[in-house]
Amino acid sequence: MGCASSIAARDSRQLGFPNSENDGGHDAKNLRVKLVLLGDSGVGKSCIVLRFVRGQFDPTSKVTVGASFLSQTIALQDSTTVKFEIWDTAGQERYAALAPLYYRGAAVAVVVYDITSPDSFSKAQYWVKELQKHGSPDIVMALVGNKADLNEKREVAVQDGIDYAEKNRMFFIETSAKTADNINELFEEIAKRLPRPSAS
Amino acid sequence: MENADVFLGLHDFLDRMRQPSASDFVKSIKSFIVSFSNNVADPERDSASIQEFFSNMEAAFRAHPLWAGCSEDELESAGEGLEKYVMTKLFSRVFASVPDDVKLDEQLYEKMALFQQFIRPENLDITPAFQNETSWLLAQKELQKINMYKAPRDKLVCILNCCKVIGNLLLNASVTSNENPPGADEFLPVLIYVTLKANPPQLHSNLLYIQRFRHQSRLVGEAAYYFTNMLSAESFISNIDAKAISMDETEFERNMEFARALLSGLSVDTQDPSSPYPNYGHHPRSEPTTKHRNKALNDNKDPMLQTVSSAAKSKIKKVTSEDELLITEVPSLSDLENKGASMLLKEDKANEVFTEYPYLFSSVGDLTVGDVEDLLNNYKQLVFKYACLSKGLGVSPTSHPPPTPKNKAQDHVETTIEPSDDEPIGANDKLEESNDTTEDSSDKVSLLGEKKIESDLPQDDAVAPKGDTNTETSS
Repeated sequence: MGCASSIAARDSRQLGFPNSENDGGHDAKNLRVKLVLLGDSGVGKSCIVLRFVRGQFDPTSKVTVGASFLSQTIALQDSTTVKFEIWDTAGQERYAALAPLYYRGAAVAVVVYDITSPDSFSKAQYWVKELQKHGSPDIVMALVGNKADLNEKREVAVQDGIDYAEKNRMFFIETSAKTADNINELFEEIAKRLPRPSAS
Repeated sequence: MENADVFLGLHDFLDRMRQPSASDFVKSIKSFIVSFSNNVADPERDSASIQEFFSNMEAAFRAHPLWAGCSEDELESAGEGLEKYVMTKLFSRVFASVPDDVKLDEQLYEKMALFQQFIRPENLDITPAFQNETSWLLAQKELQKINMYKAPRDKLVCILNCCKVIGNLLLNASVTSNENPPGADEFLPVLIYVTLKANPPQLHSNLLYIQRFRHQSRLVGEAAYYFTNMLSAESFISNIDAKAISMDETEFERNMEFARALLSGLSVDTQDPSSPYPNYGHHPRSEPTTKHRNKALNDNKDPMLQTVSSAAKSKIKKVTSEDELLITEVPSLSDLENKGASMLLKEDKANEVFTEYPYLFSSVGDLTVGDVEDLLNNYKQLVFKYACLSKGLGVSPTSHPPPTPKNKAQDHVETTIEPSDDEPIGANDKLEESNDTTEDSSDKVSLLGEKKIESDLPQDDAVAPKGDTNTETSS
């Protein structure tokens, strides 16, 4: 599937911000945002997050409970920081009706599909429609085609992703959680697109 | 974990409240509690007014000389202390306070009692690599503790601990089986399964209570995420039908029929003793209600019913032979373990049962090399007892030893018959004697609560050793 095979590939990227849970300050310079991940099961949602948060999956680490909730802070060039609180959701069909509980109040939704699976692309479109109907109106949405490393098995054309995202005013990117391609770019771009509270 | 580093300072809070300069705070708190007790229950309004009271008081603490120069953590801790104090006092007034909630509790409880008879992990998309029913018992036990506590935070911690256990088990399973690290695709189904099997009484009311009365500023981040998962599990379970668990319509109906027959046929005997819905709108631990019902339904059965797992095991054996026609399968080891656990958790002295196992609540950091010998001996003892018990019961031992060996459990046979002794907390409304009363009830609260915090909060680690049994004991 996705990222387990890349365990050995240590990525030493460090963002220099420990995950402190008790940061009280959320001002114009230090945002704290809720990001919800949606997408079919098996598209690699949790792998993307693990790549982003740890650079790799470290099986010896006991610091957190799996990958369904993780947080990571990134620093932007304008010296602001964004702390992402990443909420993973179960992608299986039988749990679809529960998603609103998770995306309620989310500032960002990342909708993930697998470029080797047209079904997962249709599912992604379903989520986009759902979010447009029920998500908060100013939610920042990103469409992510994951498993870009499996280009030889590709079944969803890059252009299809681009077109769909454009039509729905979303940010689009193809990533590989396995090779870490575009993972940081995804979150950095999201951070840039966040509405800023007016400077105090 | 949210607040993991903030010791819940109820004592510290009460100490400060005893300072002369805190007299205004004491007055406000007392009058708030009194005014509250005079109103009729209205959950939404109650929630709003309590949330507002917490916010105002916390703002006032911040501005008061008593907390001058204190860190954010200390202020946070004062807020926790206030929340715990107030909610413990108001618990009986606001918990499951309206008939609708009580009814939903009952319905949910009954549903879970039925579904747990036939649901399989596959029905929920739990892949074989991540299936581990024996170890999930540990998570069930955490969740079943939810009715042992009154403060919203303590209840929430039970949910979080349950989630942590699941998370650790999934993590271990993924490492062992070389699967992808677990995400929500793996986590939520297991949480639903564990919830169904644990079937804690009054789950719906517990969740509403946390949602309404945990101060909103503290129901954020990771805690909010796992709490949402629990709400999500409740919602899924409430709506289970044949399609939701990929079961053929007729098969589903047949299973439901069978489960109903099984439950009514066995009445309370081989079921968890809390099966007859214990009591509504009251203190969830008032055991006597359950006992009376059990008694009434089973006049011919001996009172051993109320004892802990080992006794329960022999009991079940007896019942199976008596009622063979009704029971189509011998309860599995995990059912027994589960049953024992839920009985154990209803005991006031549950903690004492575990004092014989000094390492149960240690975290990795607490241990030294010198402990290895002791630990190994402990382990061997447990394995031996467990293997013998399993043999005696005619089931094959599994990889995970239950935490309650026979002899220790029997020590508690008598004590468990005694009624719960923490009723006075709710009943105690003698506010004139505020300080003494406070001290009094707070001690009771903290006996449960702070012990819990100490033992449970380092759960990151405390859980790890349990979860690690598969991978690390062998190495």
